[in-house]
Amino acid sequence: MARCFLSLYCPEIAVDRLKRLVEWCDRYSPLVSQDGSDSIILDITGCAHLFGGEGSLLLDLQRRLHRMRIESQAAIADTWGAAWALARYGDRFIVHGEHTVSALDPLPVEALRLPHEIVLELRRLGLITIGAVRKISRDSLSVRFGSTLLWRLDRTLQKAEDPLTPWRPPAAYRASRILAEPISTVGSVEYVLHDLLQEICSRLEKNHLGSRHMDLACYRVDGTMDRCEVRTSKPNRAIPHLMRLFSSRLEKLWANFGFETFVLSVPDVEALPPAQLSFSSLATIGDEESFDLLIDRLGMRLGFQEVNRIRVRESYLPEHAVEFRSATASSFASADWPAYRVRPIRLIDPPMPIQVSILIPGGSPVQFFIGHQKHRVMRLEGPERLTAEWWREPNSRYGTRDYYRIENDKGFRFWIFCDRSERWFLHGHFA
Amino acid sequence: MLANPVVENLRRQISCFEERQRRFSRTIPVADAIDSWLPHGGVSAGCIHEVKGASLANAIAFSAVLSSRLGGDHGNILYIAPDRSLHPLGLLPFGVKLDRLLYVSARRHQDLAWAVMEALRCPQVSSVIALLGGLDLTESRRLQLAAESSGATGLLLGHAASAPIASPITRWKISSATGKAGQRFEHPLWALDLLYCRGGRPGKWILEWRDQKLQTISAQPMKQAAHEALAG
Repeated sequence: MARCFLSLYCPEIAVDRLKRLVEWCDRYSPLVSQDGSDSIILDITGCAHLFGGEGSLLLDLQRRLHRMRIESQAAIADTWGAAWALARYGDRFIVHGEHTVSALDPLPVEALRLPHEIVLELRRLGLITIGAVRKISRDSLSVRFGSTLLWRLDRTLQKAEDPLTPWRPPAAYRASRILAEPISTVGSVEYVLHDLLQEICSRLEKNHLGSRHMDLACYRVDGTMDRCEVRTSKPNRAIPHLMRLFSSRLEKLWANFGFETFVLSVPDVEALPPAQLSFSSLATIGDEESFDLLIDRLGMRLGFQEVNRIRVRESYLPEHAVEFRSATASSFASADWPAYRVRPIRLIDPPMPIQVSILIPGGSPVQFFIGHQKHRVMRLEGPERLTAEWWREPNSRYGTRDYYRIENDKGFRFWIFCDRSERWFLHGHFA
Repeated sequence: MLANPVVENLRRQISCFEERQRRFSRTIPVADAIDSWLPHGGVSAGCIHEVKGASLANAIAFSAVLSSRLGGDHGNILYIAPDRSLHPLGLLPFGVKLDRLLYVSARRHQDLAWAVMEALRCPQVSSVIALLGGLDLTESRRLQLAAESSGATGLLLGHAASAPIASPITRWKISSATGKAGQRFEHPLWALDLLYCRGGRPGKWILEWRDQKLQTISAQPMKQAAHEALAG
């Protein structure tokens, strides 16, 4: 199938505005990329009919850009190079097949996107247009200019592939709705979203797939856009659940003059086999999943970095022995913790410096101060000497530590340690 | 002060007709002396309980004991707190299975209260341990209704000095008791005060945690406990 490229040339645009424009161009095609510092390239192969043909797509784009006060020129052609050349130097805006050569021939050699010195050289030789260059035999061109000129010429004239790297990986699944009239209420956005979810989820279900990540792009009438993302802890395709997760995001959308286009994309998919419905108790199926749904709800409001599972690691240092893993992370193996290593139930991070009185040098503590409060040591267990594993930084902050378990006169139990340089720290509380 | 066995029997029959009997039917055993003291033979599951601690570590440990007994090997336990000061390895001696623990941090009070509410509504949750205090009557009533509907048990922790929540089913206060010279740190001693119990009387016990059991060291007679409570 013949490819179809659209090049958009915006002569006087700021860099950050161009970046936003690249994102905005997603509405026309999933394959969009920034092209140099002042233009954008879209691969619109198979997309044009959604907008009523290439002509109407081009018109629609130009009309919107005009409304956004962006000065621009755009052209559609079979190759990236040809579209680029026509957008800048051409007077025809949609060129296909055998017409490409005739449309490009009168254009100046700069349209080939050559390095400056080659252009100067060509002009010095009197080769002003592409047509003039094309008439010269390939052998003599390659002798004179090396491979660059031929390479550019081939790419422009459809003899070689020109790969496009989109600004973000194309979504695995994607659905869009273009509305006749802009909408601005949450209710109507929900209606459109439900429609989009139905389309995507039925396609996912057919292929036994689910997704952990969905992304809704909402385009406003004035050319700006907003995104809502939802993430889930397990691959998912249940519409009511996704609607509930989206609804908290939709409330924060700011409609301004209203939304006119919605694109729902699923960046990555995972296998999700269909669940077996049971005859006896249809109601319990929801229960089975309800814990995962709870995790999703908590994660959506608090952030998934705040909803964690615990992984035990094989490390002597208490601050390294436990890892908080986000509940969305895939399953992991946890180490066994030997019961004879008694650990406090609360850990102070970082350890709090304290004053300790000892009777003999190197001996065990007799009393200690937390701030100004004095604690007499009534019972004591230790020392338990802990040191970092050899593969860790050897001169860590505290070096080798001697830990003591201590009970004071009121029955409170503490975990304190003495580091390499005889400083004392409170590191935890026992129950 | 035991009542007439006939009256006691009738009382039990009447309460069987009542709706609340169903509500309190599932209980968590604590220790023999305490279970026989409590009106339903243990701490009621599917309810809101308040656990105050002289230090937070005590309160967490007692809640961990209750949660692990209730959940067994497969019950999901949620720990919801504003910070990450809990050291999960310290929970292991109290029977908690770390692969069933979900650690949720929420800094703002509204988020914390919301997370507790959501967790209590989920029937797959066995118990929720949350550092949440100062709830008014409406809030604590809503939590209680959520817990009843799903069967999850809520254990709300707080410092002994912090504001109590209104109308829990029981209110406990845990503090450390001083041990003898040979007492090991694996076997902590706790002084357990039952400050309030709906349908029951307050009490006071000293317990030792040993071999996954709370062994009663001493139990104060009810009169003395009530007297102390009156004296403040």
